Amino acid sequence: MPKYTTSVLRLAVASALAMGSLAGIQTSAFAGAGHSGGHNDGVEIGAPGDISDVRRTIRITMEDNFYDKEKIVVRGGETVRFLVENKGEFVHEFNIGTATMHADHQKEMMMMMEHGALEVDKINMDMMEMDMGNGETMKHNDPNSVLLEPGDSAEVIWTFPKDAELEFACNVPGHYESGMVGKVRLQ
Amino acid sequence: MRKLLGRALLGALSTIAVSTAGYAATYNLSVDYVTIDTGDMKTKAIGYNGSSPGPTLRLKEGEDAVINVTNNLDETTSIHWHGLILPYQMDGVPGISFTGIEPGETFTYRFPVKQSGTYWFHSHSGFQEPDGAYGSIVIEPEKREPFKFDREYVVVLKDKHPHSGARILRNLKMMPDYYNRNQRTLGDFISDVSENGLGETLSERGDWGSMRMMPTDIEDVQGFVGLINGKSPEQNWTGLFEPNERVRLRFINASAMTYFDVRIPGLEMTVVQADGNNVQPVKVDEFRISVAETYDVIVQPTAEKPYAIMAESMGRSGYAFGSLSPQEGLKAEMPARRMDAPLLTMADMGMDHGSMAGMDHSSMGSGNENGMAGMDHSNMAGMDHSQMGMSKDDPFYAAGSGLTPKAANGGKFLSYADLKAQKPLYPERPATREIELRLTGNMERYTWSINGVKYEDAEPIRLKYGERVRFKFVNETMMSHPMHLHGMWSILDTGNGKWDPVKHTININPGMTVYSETEVDEPGQWAFHCHLSYHMASGMFRKVVVEGGPAVAALENGVQ
Repeated sequence: MPKYTTSVLRLAVASALAMGSLAGIQTSAFAGAGHSGGHNDGVEIGAPGDISDVRRTIRITMEDNFYDKEKIVVRGGETVRFLVENKGEFVHEFNIGTATMHADHQKEMMMMMEHGALEVDKINMDMMEMDMGNGETMKHNDPNSVLLEPGDSAEVIWTFPKDAELEFACNVPGHYESGMVGKVRLQ
Repeated sequence: MRKLLGRALLGALSTIAVSTAGYAATYNLSVDYVTIDTGDMKTKAIGYNGSSPGPTLRLKEGEDAVINVTNNLDETTSIHWHGLILPYQMDGVPGISFTGIEPGETFTYRFPVKQSGTYWFHSHSGFQEPDGAYGSIVIEPEKREPFKFDREYVVVLKDKHPHSGARILRNLKMMPDYYNRNQRTLGDFISDVSENGLGETLSERGDWGSMRMMPTDIEDVQGFVGLINGKSPEQNWTGLFEPNERVRLRFINASAMTYFDVRIPGLEMTVVQADGNNVQPVKVDEFRISVAETYDVIVQPTAEKPYAIMAESMGRSGYAFGSLSPQEGLKAEMPARRMDAPLLTMADMGMDHGSMAGMDHSSMGSGNENGMAGMDHSNMAGMDHSQMGMSKDDPFYAAGSGLTPKAANGGKFLSYADLKAQKPLYPERPATREIELRLTGNMERYTWSINGVKYEDAEPIRLKYGERVRFKFVNETMMSHPMHLHGMWSILDTGNGKWDPVKHTININPGMTVYSETEVDEPGQWAFHCHLSYHMASGMFRKVVVEGGPAVAALENGVQ
């Protein structure tokens, strides 16, 4: 059983707010270095940012199965607001992390798909809330990512570290491998 | 004649291809006698532009392709553009699309390119295709593709045989097991007796005998050398890469008779296209490619070392091999060949001994795991695995089949059930009628047929323009058959509903029933056949006539 403590799924803001249990999970995600979850190999990936620190907004458009951007260039320590829109017909994710974190998350996503919590073009919220048997649900809400159904949009505010090897990626099964991933270049 | 055809077609094309006001792009191909040199043998062969395989024809979606084909042979030839949607007179099947291309003649094919992806072309005359007349087609899409890659290679697989196609069929007709080198021996008989008892062994042998088949009848033409892009394993075709690059490999099985199990040890392959159509990406360790199919995969080699492309034949009688390498001249280490040549089982015979009246096989120890073999599998294809007792067996093989593939590394082996269209080509709708096609044959006489009737004696299959027909393929033989309908897509029923993938070649394994649906959206007359060269030549072939349709009158041009 994979651990779901490093949840990396955050649903569209509107739907997330509609759910009650969000706050607790977010608190745990906020603890420590912003992403306390454990699969980040000790790499400092940054932390959720404050809107008041945002100097720059980057729009990210997701299509089937690619981003409109090949890479993102930010300054070390900068807080960026990402406005993410899914213009495709499939579910897509925008997730900031290391290649290792993405690889781990792909296994979780595969499992979600096998369990029917995630379909190629929709997220089954009720399934996401099911107990996986270990006290965890699949309904993860990490601030470093959003998982969006077709047509949805959301924002991610993220403060980047000084230096790290980061990627933004979609971990829906098969998407990362077919190239739905880009480098985050820290300057 | 040619001019006349050209003019008639230009008129016709303007009515058909209203949306594609493409520009014309001209290509030239010559059909030549060539020599194929595999290192161990040199054979006289047929090729294009002086070599076999021929060149990769790179077309662009939206253009009007004009392809001049000059026949330098002293016999009639033809080129069929496998998987391409085009006016039927351009489909290249002598006797159905046109009369063929005479020696010394140049025939001009003209058609609008209305699709993209990986395809291939080959002669549809005699045994020119097994003799080397094949090449690849890459069609660049108008829109960007749903995947990203840094470089790409066409990887064409071929079972190159030292004998000419005509000689092979002569030998098969004379002695159907002529090329089956893996026959069961007296020693096998004795070991079967000691394992299963004399009575059962004799009874099972009797069944095989009455089927005119042997458990080793998986590849009826052995003794070939597997080629990748014309290179034998020893000649080591090599595709270069830089570590971390995403490499797209366009696999095409241009073999006459051989299915290949393809793997690249150390790399996962993400399948992104099947038969030229994008599929939702699926990660596999190995896949089986039927004759005439294509699969596009993306791999990302990270280490600075050569990787082996290993393609073992389904019956393990031969293999093709090449390398993906960070530098020229660096040959990958060849993985050990699997010597576990599969044996067909009673399940592949479509027989369930447990339920056969008057036969007591209750003592049968092994082989048939349950009573599912021989059942109607019509509802099994694409069934949710979870409903099959958590069995991970491929639903496109009979339960207990000796052919069910397993990945060499114990990992994921691609199934038809994994293929889901990336973007459905046709809206879902119920089929207007069903046509049953029983795939039949008599191995002893090496005759192959559909519904027990071979091509020469058969009436054409008549379809109506605008209908959606559901084909029910019932494989009553013990060999797999890759069925290819020309001119129109086959929507393979994998049970995935609107995501059912669109293909041009549908493989049906022994003892299985598989369904595909076709939107009858192209007028004219078309070929429909098993793509195993010697099955096709022996009668597993039908002409399909599409009746009606707005453009059919405009297409009448006296070519027939």
